Amino acid sequence: MTAEVHKYTLQEVEALEVAPGTQHENLEGWNPQLTSDEDLRGVLDKALDYRGDVTLTLKSGERIEAFIFNCQSGPTLAESFVQYYTPSASEKRKVGFAEIASVEFTGKDRAAGKHWEDWVKKYNEKKAAGETNIGLTPEALD
Amino acid sequence: MAIPISQMWTVSSYVLKNKLLGKKRYPLVLMLEPLFRCSLACAGCGKVQYPPHILKKQLTPAECFAAIDECGAPMVSIPGGEPLLHPQIVEIVNGLIARKKYIYLCTNALELKRRLPEFTPSKYLTFSVHLDGLREHHDFAVCREGTYDIAVAGIQEAVRRGFRVTTNATFFDGADPNSARAFFDEVMRMGVEGIVLSPGYSYEKAPDQTHFMGRARVRRLFRSILSNRKPTWKFNMSPLFLEFLMGDRNYECVPWGMPAFNIFGWQRPCYLLQEGYAESYAELLATTKWEEYGVASGNPKCANCMVSCGYETPAVMDGFGSWKGFVAMVKGNFNKYPDAHALKMLDEAAPHAPAALVQIAQPVEEALEETRA
Repeated sequence: MTAEVHKYTLQEVEALEVAPGTQHENLEGWNPQLTSDEDLRGVLDKALDYRGDVTLTLKSGERIEAFIFNCQSGPTLAESFVQYYTPSASEKRKVGFAEIASVEFTGKDRAAGKHWEDWVKKYNEKKAAGETNIGLTPEALD
Repeated sequence: MAIPISQMWTVSSYVLKNKLLGKKRYPLVLMLEPLFRCSLACAGCGKVQYPPHILKKQLTPAECFAAIDECGAPMVSIPGGEPLLHPQIVEIVNGLIARKKYIYLCTNALELKRRLPEFTPSKYLTFSVHLDGLREHHDFAVCREGTYDIAVAGIQEAVRRGFRVTTNATFFDGADPNSARAFFDEVMRMGVEGIVLSPGYSYEKAPDQTHFMGRARVRRLFRSILSNRKPTWKFNMSPLFLEFLMGDRNYECVPWGMPAFNIFGWQRPCYLLQEGYAESYAELLATTKWEEYGVASGNPKCANCMVSCGYETPAVMDGFGSWKGFVAMVKGNFNKYPDAHALKMLDEAAPHAPAALVQIAQPVEEALEETRA
């Protein structure tokens, strides 16, 4: 947790009527320019929260399509790493921050358009239009 | 409380043993997620919004057994995703039963009736069927008509075959307490062992939602639902946790009590937040900054949470860890919590039923076949 995050007091927590929902940035297609170590750390933090694949370009020139699920940020880049799965390999992989040249948000954001409010709106619109095929089914995996 | 004596004995002796050993942190329930794939696509779900290559991955039985053998929890909850889509779920369940672990297999029950012959009734195995309310409420919540009837058919068949069955429901902002109480009547008539319930919470990986119930609103909702209980209602939860939901008790979050293990590893710090993963339960315990989580930390991510994965463990520890807690727990089993103010809240609650769902053209069985493929 970063220092600038507002910390609730116990009194505030107990009196909460509603709590704000999570707000995610629209990152799909983003290709940030990294000019400092802090930029890299910030972008990898966003990649950890991203609900899709990213493409990592390493300083060696290798490009890796990856779903990042773990980000361990240490005092130096050499002590920091991300863990990820690729679409083509079954095992977890790891790469150090120091090896990463760029991060592109190339994969589809899998949560976009799937808000509860989206479903309610879609349902009401389709119902008003007289449609009978209203419902959500999982996306095909292939 | 609708929990067999053998299970209560196992849990109570486990809590007392750890207390005598002076263990500060130990797990009560392993949240074992063998896969994230699901046969439903509920809007707002935080567990299924992954790329296809992640949804295709699943834990092997050996990985599941290594996780429970390492952490040693006496109970295992198997959520997901939909566990019945895992091709080796029977092997996983049987391996856990062989280890004498009490299992809650959480399922949407779309596959339950078809898969039941593969399982053997056991005191260690409970099917915990996801039902969020009466037919219209449930079908609207899971975004597909027809699911309630299929789930109920699965429940009835499981009960008929002698399995332990509970239902589990999540209540979000706007839930109608009168409808919730009618739902309790309905599920108890189905012959289930007990009801499990929870307030909604925002998963970090879930699609954005505008807001969730804060603590004050959660307590008001559960006070209106859980006061003036009917004699037929049974809950498969700690009575002290239910009192916590009603605002009669206060507990601090104990996230290490219900650790989550999935294809990524041991989730840090809990089932709901995803702030990294550890390779082992020992590493999770040793390297997580626990002081940064829970209501007392002031962390805004924890501000509205009253969910069982954080707060039922301290209730169970309270109930089995002291005479005072034990007496309160026993009393809670028999108390109907009469409350005139709660009755007034029920009278004032506006009907909040969703609009009736229209018939969905694609039959659920057809959709299931696509998911299995």
